[in-house]
Amino acid sequence: MSSGYKPDILWSPHHADHYVICDTELSLYRIGPAGSSETKAGALPLSEETAATLLAINSDTPYMKCVAWYPKQEPECLLAVGQANGRVVLTSLGQGHNSKCKDLVGKEFVPKHARQCNTLAWNPVDSNWLAAGLDKHRADFSVLIWDISSKFSPESVPTEKVRLSGDVDSGLVVTKPLYELGQNDACLSLCWLPRDHQKLLLAGMHRNLAIFDLRNTSQKTFVNTKAIQGVTVDPHFQDRIASFFEGQVAIWDLRKFEKPVFTLTEQSKPLTKVVWCPTRMGLLATLTRDSNIIRLYDMQHTPMPFGDEVEPTIIERSIQPCSESIVSSFAWHPSAQNRMVVVSPSRVMNDFTVFERISLAWSSTTALMWACGRHLYECTEDAGQGAAAAEKDIATKMRERAQSRYGHDTQQVWRNHVLAGDDDPQLRSLWYTLHFMKQYTENVEQKQQSNKQSLLYSGIKNIVKSSSGTTETLRCWSGSDRQTDVLRYHSEERSLALQLCGWISRGPDIDVEPFLKSLEQEGEWERAAAVALFNLDIRRAIQILNKGASAEKGDLNLNVVAMALSGYTDEKNSLWREMCSSLRLQLKKPYLCIMFAFLTSEPGAFDAVLYESRVAVRDRVAFACMFLNDTQLPRYIDKLTNEMKEAGNLEGILLTGLTKDGVDLMESYVDRTGDVQTASFCMLKGTPGEVLKDPRVQCWIENYRNLLDAWRFWHKRAEFDIHRSKLDPSSKPLAQVFVSCNFCGKSISYSCSAMPHQGRGFSQYGVSGSPTKSKVTSCPGCRKPLPRCALCLMNMGTPVSSCPGTGKADEKADLTRDKKLAQFNNWFTWCHNCRHGGHAGHMLSWFRDHSECPVSACTCKCMQLDTTGNLVPSDSV
Amino acid sequence: MDLHILDHRLRVTSISKSGLEQYTHPLIKLIFLRNRTRSEGLLTQTQHYLIRCKFFSLTETPENYTVVLDEEGFKELQPSEHLQVEGSTWLPLNVVSNGNASSSSQAVGVTKIAKSVIAPLAEQHVSVFMLSTYQTDFILVREKDLAVVVETLAEEFNVFREEGGESVPVHSQDACNGLQRNGREVPQATVHPVLIPENHFCVMSLDPDTLPAIATTLIDVLFYSNRSKEDASVDQDMEYIVFFSFSLIDGYISLVMDTEAQRQFPTDLLFTSSSGELWRMVRIGGQPLGFDECGIVAQISQPLADSDISAYYISTFSFDHALVPEEDLASVTEMLQAQRMSS
Repeated sequence: MSSGYKPDILWSPHHADHYVICDTELSLYRIGPAGSSETKAGALPLSEETAATLLAINSDTPYMKCVAWYPKQEPECLLAVGQANGRVVLTSLGQGHNSKCKDLVGKEFVPKHARQCNTLAWNPVDSNWLAAGLDKHRADFSVLIWDISSKFSPESVPTEKVRLSGDVDSGLVVTKPLYELGQNDACLSLCWLPRDHQKLLLAGMHRNLAIFDLRNTSQKTFVNTKAIQGVTVDPHFQDRIASFFEGQVAIWDLRKFEKPVFTLTEQSKPLTKVVWCPTRMGLLATLTRDSNIIRLYDMQHTPMPFGDEVEPTIIERSIQPCSESIVSSFAWHPSAQNRMVVVSPSRVMNDFTVFERISLAWSSTTALMWACGRHLYECTEDAGQGAAAAEKDIATKMRERAQSRYGHDTQQVWRNHVLAGDDDPQLRSLWYTLHFMKQYTENVEQKQQSNKQSLLYSGIKNIVKSSSGTTETLRCWSGSDRQTDVLRYHSEERSLALQLCGWISRGPDIDVEPFLKSLEQEGEWERAAAVALFNLDIRRAIQILNKGASAEKGDLNLNVVAMALSGYTDEKNSLWREMCSSLRLQLKKPYLCIMFAFLTSEPGAFDAVLYESRVAVRDRVAFACMFLNDTQLPRYIDKLTNEMKEAGNLEGILLTGLTKDGVDLMESYVDRTGDVQTASFCMLKGTPGEVLKDPRVQCWIENYRNLLDAWRFWHKRAEFDIHRSKLDPSSKPLAQVFVSCNFCGKSISYSCSAMPHQGRGFSQYGVSGSPTKSKVTSCPGCRKPLPRCALCLMNMGTPVSSCPGTGKADEKADLTRDKKLAQFNNWFTWCHNCRHGGHAGHMLSWFRDHSECPVSACTCKCMQLDTTGNLVPSDSV
Repeated sequence: MDLHILDHRLRVTSISKSGLEQYTHPLIKLIFLRNRTRSEGLLTQTQHYLIRCKFFSLTETPENYTVVLDEEGFKELQPSEHLQVEGSTWLPLNVVSNGNASSSSQAVGVTKIAKSVIAPLAEQHVSVFMLSTYQTDFILVREKDLAVVVETLAEEFNVFREEGGESVPVHSQDACNGLQRNGREVPQATVHPVLIPENHFCVMSLDPDTLPAIATTLIDVLFYSNRSKEDASVDQDMEYIVFFSFSLIDGYISLVMDTEAQRQFPTDLLFTSSSGELWRMVRIGGQPLGFDECGIVAQISQPLADSDISAYYISTFSFDHALVPEEDLASVTEMLQAQRMSS
């Protein structure tokens, strides 16, 4: 409440747009949208959107110390004012003369001994009751509870004795309170307890917080504390109370009223106001003297009651509602969330809303959700519009790719880039590289060339390093006998490199014709022409260009290029050469550009070709393998490799292979894209051991598996694990669960399998139609029967009878799947709680409709105990 | 019931009537430039002019001005021939009813604590200096007597000592048992003559915020108005006595004045009881009482307590003053006479 004459602010309990500012007088304001017709010209702007209109001023009550607004709807705008001399006056604002509270307005409640009224509180239920807290008097009570409906009783105060008390003549003076409490003490603050409206919490001068029950005033609970200056009950948590003293706020739990549950950090200046937010759980606002900051304490996540050991989780924030200006007082809006109006000592008002902290969460699919106040916002990626597809988030892409079995084609490895969907040149290059590497590896395996083993899945960088015995030839232009001045280099390694680049297929001959054919088929005319030209077949190149021009949707310009090409002359100073070397730069198509660069360059200086970054790495590398000598080639490859590694360009895998270098490259690719999926699949193909043991690779694989789990792609994850264990046997997990016999305690899988435990689950037992036909219905160790299935009552190990209700006709088509399911149906399952169980298939169908254990006497809610049992995989098979 | 030993160390002084001029300045500072320790704000730039005195009481009697104040305030009073200082440090005690007081008894103030505090202390020969205010009653005891006081009163009260805003429970130590009690031979207390002037007194309070509003009146009444009466009032047979008391303790103001002085103040500012009760004074002592005699308060409070009459009691440097309700004066006079007879 107010101190001195600083304005305080009080919000109407029932009219969300009315509030009162009280300093030396009471002023009623209405708050409304700024600039609307309702607000008149004299409206005071409170914020960008709101303005306040002064409705009424009441200056009837001097020496105001505290004000309390009548809590009930009717009569509206009835205020109790506590004065410096302890009198409590009922007054009203902006009400007509014949309003409902006419009888009440002007009524005065006078204590026996005058002293300051510190605080007022209306009883929230019995709204006739008004509690007033006064300063102490040696012979009087400090808490008086007045009944505002009581009539003035003239006999209570003999008139001759009222010499000093002023105007009693009005007949509106009440001197007999309903209750008197707290003798010989001051009451600084009080509040009614909402849980029991007969109870009153008082904060007194003698460092006490006391709870009185009006039904028996001699009984009270009290606690000694310094924090007595203000008490206020949390409206959302009625056992929680805040009280303050100077700079310190103590939070109390009424159920444990011996000491504060915690105290907030002490502030250097004395507090003037401490208020719980009425619209938000556990939010306490505090204001200190001469401060421009309102401090908020968020106790939403503070458990109540909490033990002594636990540190309270309180989030502290401060807000500065009107920049530099000092805040005199503030009031929360009664209904608009987190909204408050503050008033400065000079009565400048400000309306503002405290923003909630925003908490946000990603879903495992790309949706994003955030919460602000009571609102939840969801933001999902705008899927659709083919153009935007390339811009899709990598998580979305990975999800789609996982669904299309990306990475799982181990036969035609290159097809994985098709599975990946959008035509990413890097992925395309990667999977082709891996495809060629695999082909080569198989080739080597066939030939049993053990000495070349080290080159498996290593990149061109390693291959050309070991190059030896290079021969150089000066070749003729094919179809003409003119000598070229271009040296071409040959070696076994170089042709291997060309194979990996995809220019030539395996075999001793270096024939690019199949490659050209395939390029023509795909309509890559320029590229095919360039490859033909680099193989010194200028005629073939022209032919390709012509074909390209005449093809459907062909570019007629290709004919022009062909024309230009046909004019090739090796005359050094010819006009053709001069024009081509300058005009080629204007060609938009990189392959056309490098064709002319090749034709016009000086022998041995092919930088214009080698460093044309728009040209695929594999083509540039193949070109380098043909035309760079043994010193130039490794230097160029090294340079290119580093470039690729830095950029995280997957085309560089061609150079690095699946080696340490490759992992480095992949690392920067993952750093750039986050595509752990490609990284995992790619690296799984690498030489087992070295590369797979790299912690980065393990991290990618684990993260990919977690990602699949998060998407509830459990089947995909299982497939991935199977795929992984094929390529990397060391990743196979050991069996961790065994079924042991109830009688002898031995694992029932043990004696049946020659291979002890290794990865062979008990799933293999009793499979219907298994060739061994060994019915394992008894423990192989002690020959005692296995437990019975709770549903079919057969001993475990007996194959499951065909599930009822499965339409045989439909299922016939998918025999393998059926079989797999059948295998699982025979698995042992049991509840960890009641230990009942049986065939997995039976259990599944039982718990589809029941939550209770199938054993008749057992009331175990098995299914509810299984937290993951109700989750459905999102990639249902 | 709780007994609080308050966190003030007090000196009891007296300023002679003739020396008042010398002390007008410090006294005005002590009254008006108080450090407002209660919730009010202050302009910080004036802070260093302020006196951190939290306990100040000034009582004008016909003989002199009695000033009781804490050590912080005492620094303001320059020693001179006009200033008499009682040698010891006094500690104020305050009885707190704890809320569960037996509200059956109408009697308040000294009467209420007569049996539980004053009588036992008198038995132990602890000299007390009483100071009643509008808000409460302070029992001042010498610091050196504290151990005896605690031990004596621990039976009846939970004793707390206030230190820096905290109430610390005090337990009467066993060591106290060896402590010599003040009086061994207990002479029968002398019955002092009493004087009952005709004035009607009222006990009032004031919102500290409105103190500036009555400043001029207060200064006038305290320092300038009573000169003419000075000579007459020393007379033993006087009908009217000059008596005015102002105290400012922990931010609370208390005023005791006669109805004549009260007329000079604006009526709407001073707080008093709604019934407008008036009090009559019983001055105890024919000769200045000194500070060592004990049992004086007990002498008068005991019979008052027996007949359930409420009273204020204000000790000054020379005499003690009890205020009793005007309607009870007759019975009080009767009672005092009876007491005199018996002795």
